[in-house]
Amino acid sequence: MSTAISPRRKATFVDARGLAEAIATLREHGPRVTILAGGTDLMVQYIRGDVQPEILLHVRRLEELKGIVCGSRTEIGAVTTHWQIASRAEIRTSNPALAEASALVGSRQTQNVGTLAGNVVNASPASDLLPVLLISDATVTLLSATTTRELPVGDFVVGRRATMRRPDELVTKLWLEPVGARTGETYLKIGRRGAMEVAIVGLAARLSFDEDGAVTRARIAVCSAASKVFRALDAEQRLLGSTLDEEAIREAGELVRRTANPITDARATADYRARLLAPLIRRAVYACREQSARQTVVGTA
Amino acid sequence: MKLHVSVNGVGKVLEVNPHATLLDVLREDLLLTGTKRGCDEGECGACTVLVDGEGVDSCIVAAHSVNGCQIETVEGLESPGGELSRLQRAFVETGAVQCGFCTPGFLMTLTAFLRENSTPTADEIRYAMAGNICRCTGYAQIVDAVLRATTDASR
Repeated sequence: MSTAISPRRKATFVDARGLAEAIATLREHGPRVTILAGGTDLMVQYIRGDVQPEILLHVRRLEELKGIVCGSRTEIGAVTTHWQIASRAEIRTSNPALAEASALVGSRQTQNVGTLAGNVVNASPASDLLPVLLISDATVTLLSATTTRELPVGDFVVGRRATMRRPDELVTKLWLEPVGARTGETYLKIGRRGAMEVAIVGLAARLSFDEDGAVTRARIAVCSAASKVFRALDAEQRLLGSTLDEEAIREAGELVRRTANPITDARATADYRARLLAPLIRRAVYACREQSARQTVVGTA
Repeated sequence: MKLHVSVNGVGKVLEVNPHATLLDVLREDLLLTGTKRGCDEGECGACTVLVDGEGVDSCIVAAHSVNGCQIETVEGLESPGGELSRLQRAFVETGAVQCGFCTPGFLMTLTAFLRENSTPTADEIRYAMAGNICRCTGYAQIVDAVLRATTDASR
């Protein structure tokens, strides 16, 4: 077979047939294993020779890691694909920003194959899903032969392509908080095209309001504007208690901009990225308010 | 390492390297060269085939990850008697093929799309084919082809 253009080295391929086999493989060979879910990112790195795994552990078939359960919390299996999330009607109600972001990951081909946990573990600074997971107070459940633990996504992702996953652990599922009453959320993504783009900047926001329209809870998170996806805590604080008046929005925009530390790359300059943040905050908070009002009307009808 | 797949309805058992991609197997082992190698990094869609009915970029799919799956390629679109599918005919009739390199990928993406949505709007078609790039930039004729294939005129 001719694969001359690819510097791939030969890895052992383990096609896990059950969760127990996957966990046992990780216990025995952990540091030598690279876990393969959909592979939309890993396979590109592998083909380029950027990652050289000794053992590829394929987990995407595992029934134990599939599925969506919408209840008081939203539970999503690790290898649930972006398309399965985007096309699930209940998710559009319980976690609309997640549905929006999942529908913006690459193309339909990417969404058919790529998985939620793959996106999280990959920990790209440009991940469309990480900002949404941060505003949803999401947690990651990690399983090993001897331990189970649940970590907030914000603690799990520690840097560019770096997470707290131990070599013997497998992400089995994620939990998200659904949007509550008088709450709106959105994910806004800037790219050169409307689809099939890596974000130049992306911003997710979730705001809750009281009867008088004052903000009672604020979550704002940003991708492609620092070495990791981050929550804009200062901007959240500035919006709390406000009724989204002009001054609060302007200052929140300035605070996000100060928290960000964007780079210049092939997609955009650092300066351009920084300039996008204030207008994005403005659009996002208005979208949250509009959605929360609509939701209240629907809820009381 | 053995790989069991069904390709265009025919069962195959092949000896395949652990590091091979689905595209490698289709083009190099099965000599189904209708599926094209474009960017080799999941950006251009030229290598799109269907795995259990869903469009995937076969250049970044590990061959052994589709063990036991049903694969459909552009070679499987025509009838056993060699008659083109309605979508293929519409591509010919509207001039949706220029250099032709991207065509198999577009046909597979849109074949899967039309099974989900048999009466799409032009905007839905454009969104569905966002992952397929045509560097001759003949997108308008491709949208026309899909609309033609889904109206009575082409039956």
